[in-house]
Amino acid sequence: MTDSTPKLPGLLARRTRGMTLEAPFYTDPAIHHADLDLIFARHWIFVGVEPEIAEPGDVMSVDIGNHAVLVARDDDMELRAFHNVCRHRGARLIEARHDSVGNIVCPYHQWTYGLDGALRHAGCMPRDFQAERHGLRHVHVRSLEGLIFVCLAEEAPDDFEDMARIVGPYIAPHGITRCKVAHTEDIVEPGNWKLTMENNRECYHCSAAHPELTRSIFAEGFGFAPVGAAAEAQAARFQAMIGDLHARCQLRGIPSGEIEHLADRITGFRTERLPLEDAGESETLDTRVACKKLLGDLSETRLGALSFWTQPNSWHHFMSDHIVTFAVFPLTPETALLRTTWLVHQDAVEGVDYDLSNLTAVWHATNAQDSALVGKAADGVRTSGYRPGPYSADTEGLVEKFCAWYIDRMQAGLAG
Amino acid sequence: MSESPTPETGFTISFSVTGRDVQCAPGNTVLEAAELAGLKLPFSCREGMCATCKSKLVSGQVDMQHKGGIRPKEIAAGKILLCCSRPLSDLVVER
Repeated sequence: MTDSTPKLPGLLARRTRGMTLEAPFYTDPAIHHADLDLIFARHWIFVGVEPEIAEPGDVMSVDIGNHAVLVARDDDMELRAFHNVCRHRGARLIEARHDSVGNIVCPYHQWTYGLDGALRHAGCMPRDFQAERHGLRHVHVRSLEGLIFVCLAEEAPDDFEDMARIVGPYIAPHGITRCKVAHTEDIVEPGNWKLTMENNRECYHCSAAHPELTRSIFAEGFGFAPVGAAAEAQAARFQAMIGDLHARCQLRGIPSGEIEHLADRITGFRTERLPLEDAGESETLDTRVACKKLLGDLSETRLGALSFWTQPNSWHHFMSDHIVTFAVFPLTPETALLRTTWLVHQDAVEGVDYDLSNLTAVWHATNAQDSALVGKAADGVRTSGYRPGPYSADTEGLVEKFCAWYIDRMQAGLAG
Repeated sequence: MSESPTPETGFTISFSVTGRDVQCAPGNTVLEAAELAGLKLPFSCREGMCATCKSKLVSGQVDMQHKGGIRPKEIAAGKILLCCSRPLSDLVVER
């Protein structure tokens, strides 16, 4: 921030509801660091899925800005998370995104930690060295039916359990822990992480920007509710399809109704099972399943797409045949990592049960389109001409909820 | 012709990268045998935890008593920890 720019508390206080954030929120290094401290170190952050670390000794490393985390599966099959930094001289412990280890061993001087984080070996230290005081620093970790979340705070928000209780039954039928990762795509988004999240939280842009995605999805499922005769006819068709889908799901005991707590909880979230066009099966170019082996114990292909969003950094689409998860991690004030993971049943065979390019076609294209849009927004908000603009109440209400949640949590963080 | 080697007489360990053959006395680990012969191999904990000495066993059998430093799938792939492995036959080790 320049000397003439108000400091963070002033910028937070003067944010106008229904308007985009002021430029420093998208460009300023001091606010970027505040985001890492007050948002990413104090809330539940989605980092990956259980099939990434399926076996004892499997570990994954995740960098959340300046927070380096490793998540391990121990010999009792429990998940453990630690700061990915040696207690000796601070070297990074796990370098690879995924690895398999006996113990966690520092590559520098071979300090060796058990998968419980306890220091088990530190050579050449004095006789009175207290190994028990040099274990790895714990990070909270929870799995929501196979979606892995970590929290770096001393005390993690306890409303995660509420979210898990509510959303768990929606996700469980898709059997994440019986999936495998079919593909992962990392994109460096050319804008602040909040621009990526804001772009995800509306479908105002979908019709013009996403020809592949809108083959299957309805913008109406993502907060798009414009007025006008044509729009209302489309909305009525969508509502009829939602009614049909939810009735069919109810018969199968699969929860599907909307639950939305994006801005009224510390661990904000939204979920709803949404209908898809035509065949109604999957977010593919032909709206049909991309994988012949269905997930979990599902026997019905036409279940639409379960949408699940979390504040501050994730969204997910669960279909009968595959799952796509998205995680956003801040990199610099004006870049962020978007990590997309495609999951199919663990027994599905590439080339037999699914074609990888067909499986990934829609979201591969959509991610690239979204990334370009984020870049356009970033290119504008960093210029002198930028002033906050108004959100469309009819189509961008969920973007407003993201911003309202962010402002509220930043203020709570500064106060506490 | 000499008698075939036994745990009582010790075994020969051939290190395939350095081209060195060393004798391993009864009761010694592969790492100890290498050290007594003046070979410098990587190690740290000496008790099967840190895996610094993890190596490929090209041929032969060992009795390995590790403390969690190596996974079953690594053992299945022919890896051993030299610090806690005692020969049960002549060995070829990729070092």
